Amino acid sequence: MKVIVEPSPDTPLVWFDIAIHGGASADPLGVEGLHRHAALLARRGAGTRKRAELDETLDSLGAALDVSVSRDSIGLSGVALSRHLDAVIDLAADILAAPRFDEDEHARLLRETPQVLDEIRDDDSALATRWFDWLCCPGHPYGRTSLGTEASLAQIGVLQRDGARALWKREVVPENMIIGLAGDVDEANAARLVQRLIERLPPGTATPLATNLSTPAPGRRVILVDKSDRTQAQLRIGHLATRYGQPDTAALAIAEAIFGGMFSSRLMQEIRVKRGWSYGAGCALRRSRLPHWFEIWTAAAIDVAGSAVALTLELYAEYADKGPTDDEVDFARSYLIGAMPFHVATARQRMQLAVRDALFELPAGYTARLPEALGQLTAAEVRAACARQFHPDNTVTVAVTTAEQARRGLEAANAGPITIVRHDEY
Amino acid sequence: MSLLSWELEAEAPVGRGMTARRFRLSNGLGLIAAVDKRAPIVALQTWFRVGSRHERPGATGMAHLFEHLMFGQTESLPPGEFDRLVERTGGESNAATWVDWTYYKLSLPARDLALGIKLEAERMQHLVLEHDPVESERDVVTNERRERVEDDVDGWLDEQLMAHAFTEHPYRWPTIGWMEDIRALALPDIRAFYRTWYAPNNATIVCVGDFDETELRELISQYYGHIPAAPTPTIAKQVEPEQNRERIVRAPKPIATDRLLVGYKAPGQDDPDWAALEIVSTLLAGCPSARLYRKLVIEQEAASSVDAQLTPFRDPSLLRLAITTARGHSADEVIASVDRELAALIENPPQAAEVEKAKALAETDFWSALADVDGKAEALGHYETALGDFRRLTSLAERLTAVTTADVAHAVRKFLVPTARTIVIAEPEAETAESDDDDGDD
Repeated sequence: MKVIVEPSPDTPLVWFDIAIHGGASADPLGVEGLHRHAALLARRGAGTRKRAELDETLDSLGAALDVSVSRDSIGLSGVALSRHLDAVIDLAADILAAPRFDEDEHARLLRETPQVLDEIRDDDSALATRWFDWLCCPGHPYGRTSLGTEASLAQIGVLQRDGARALWKREVVPENMIIGLAGDVDEANAARLVQRLIERLPPGTATPLATNLSTPAPGRRVILVDKSDRTQAQLRIGHLATRYGQPDTAALAIAEAIFGGMFSSRLMQEIRVKRGWSYGAGCALRRSRLPHWFEIWTAAAIDVAGSAVALTLELYAEYADKGPTDDEVDFARSYLIGAMPFHVATARQRMQLAVRDALFELPAGYTARLPEALGQLTAAEVRAACARQFHPDNTVTVAVTTAEQARRGLEAANAGPITIVRHDEY
Repeated sequence: MSLLSWELEAEAPVGRGMTARRFRLSNGLGLIAAVDKRAPIVALQTWFRVGSRHERPGATGMAHLFEHLMFGQTESLPPGEFDRLVERTGGESNAATWVDWTYYKLSLPARDLALGIKLEAERMQHLVLEHDPVESERDVVTNERRERVEDDVDGWLDEQLMAHAFTEHPYRWPTIGWMEDIRALALPDIRAFYRTWYAPNNATIVCVGDFDETELRELISQYYGHIPAAPTPTIAKQVEPEQNRERIVRAPKPIATDRLLVGYKAPGQDDPDWAALEIVSTLLAGCPSARLYRKLVIEQEAASSVDAQLTPFRDPSLLRLAITTARGHSADEVIASVDRELAALIENPPQAAEVEKAKALAETDFWSALADVDGKAEALGHYETALGDFRRLTSLAERLTAVTTADVAHAVRKFLVPTARTIVIAEPEAETAESDDDDGDD
């Protein structure tokens, strides 16, 4: 177990984040959504309190206690007025050690989750991300949807509450946890509260984490997610990339900033500023424990969607081939080093960054020390990293738009063969 | 320009161990300074007392267009240079426009504060408004509108609610503007808007972070002291006629289930009833144990989400309920449930414990908003610009603390009136509706 404490008396608030290794990438195949189901169920009643009483107690304390599921972890996050911190920590400890997993809440959650799928299908940006995650690198653990599918939710129903209960018992053990506290709490008090959080948990070993990675298919391909009445195309373009924390991480941070991480970046200038095709355009290397995606995003007017994809792929191919200029590297380095104080300005930010580094199994302080590595890189090293890590010939493009109007432009974009799917089939 | 030109107008504590002070330069420029040395950064924000309410029909979206144009060329900065100078420091720039204000936000390393002040002063007086860059930003804004309204059902609902809830007040048009107006905004009008509203006497600089207050005032005197004040138009008080009949609008959208916004006429943020209504908003749908959330989402499973928001506008606006219905349930059914819950709320007003719960949540929200320098600057800027005094930030918090059960009961009876509400409903298109009915029967 790792514990991170960042005291600060700026406000009478304390934030805490508990990360439990596992998450959606550890969902069994065919039972995607199980971690989310277990986590939400745990929050819906613990100890002697059923859901309504737990909610009422937390709200009366002015506190919030939320669960979340990422690719790599279950999260239990809270904020409390410091005068109520002990009471809120006790409720969090109940959720960790004594979730009720009530049958009525289990059944209700199984009815609710498909409606969250509806919400995503109603939101073009979220829908584009869902499809891209699924099809960027089929078989990769991060392709497993944290929410699940209609079919996988049915499997969770078959497992009944036992599925969630067994997962919780196996994974919610101190050895599998990272606990962070920040705000109006001192080190000694934090140590006491951490002990209360874990004292009723069973001993156990850390969960073996996914390591098996699939290999992406070569070549380019397009998934056209057909939805009626669109005026734009929500676009995602990318491929499997390297792991955050690998030796190229600092060089890729610079490369990412130059291509699509700043307003001055190439994508933003070419797509928004020069052509006015979109409100924005950018790119990001997803930061996770395992190798994750390199992803380009934009939303272009439907009549220029194909042109926007073609241009983006041309820009990307040129960038992978030639890399950034010396001046661009100097500029991005200055930006990234200067930006670091904004990421560690508050105690809560410092705690969350440290929790994330620990979750990714990186050395303590890894991210906060990145500016040192950035300062030592040469432009040639950044260009070499671009050549190693960027793969413009092996991209997946997802376009959420109206197929009838956008198809012809996308066919001419040199983005690969097109598969058209209904927006609500995944 | 000497420091003697500054007048200290007000000071008040903001959070723990921090004081905000408002000064005014002789040309009318306001400055709110709050020193916070816990990190080597500053939030430098320039708030202008101009928002979409200051536009006229046929020229909507003008204030928001400036949110884009202000990052363009100036007399001494070529196109793109503003952003490059800021990004080279590691800082970030952004802007926001709403009904009562527009503000420009710089987050900078503390050592680069002087650069930020120089850049902001430059674009306040020397923005170049020529055909090509204006047309380019017009295209960007039309795409922003497509993304946020045309292709976003929540954006469409929001726009339609305001358009139907207000018949006279400028709150009836969207801040981003109607598409046909955005396309038609003329260059002479754009230039006139800039000359009219972008003047020191119509602005307040808010600076929070690691700086020396005396040096800050010297820098601002140096870069802004020579800028003359400009006559700002007097805007007649715009009064929305009383609404005495419910308004309902429906339209099909490519969505899975009904989504609706319900807007009850509500007071402006400075009204004595505002704090009590804010408590009502929390009790209805502002927390997991809230009445409407429990009834609609948990007990009836008629909705998948319920949210409440009391819009923080200067003039009377709306208390809004945003509801997404669950599969197999309709907007009409949910509205009937809302009516039953509100009737129960009137008949059995909240007891002290329930009101105290909402007040505890408000206290956490208050401190959360002040957790970083950007949040502090935004809070100070909003209250100074929308309500005329940054000290409203703390006085409103005090009013929330003082709300009684009787205040809540009064607010419920006075404002949650069906005849003074507007409802906008997005319904699934016919084909989608049929498929959803199938899903609901599984």
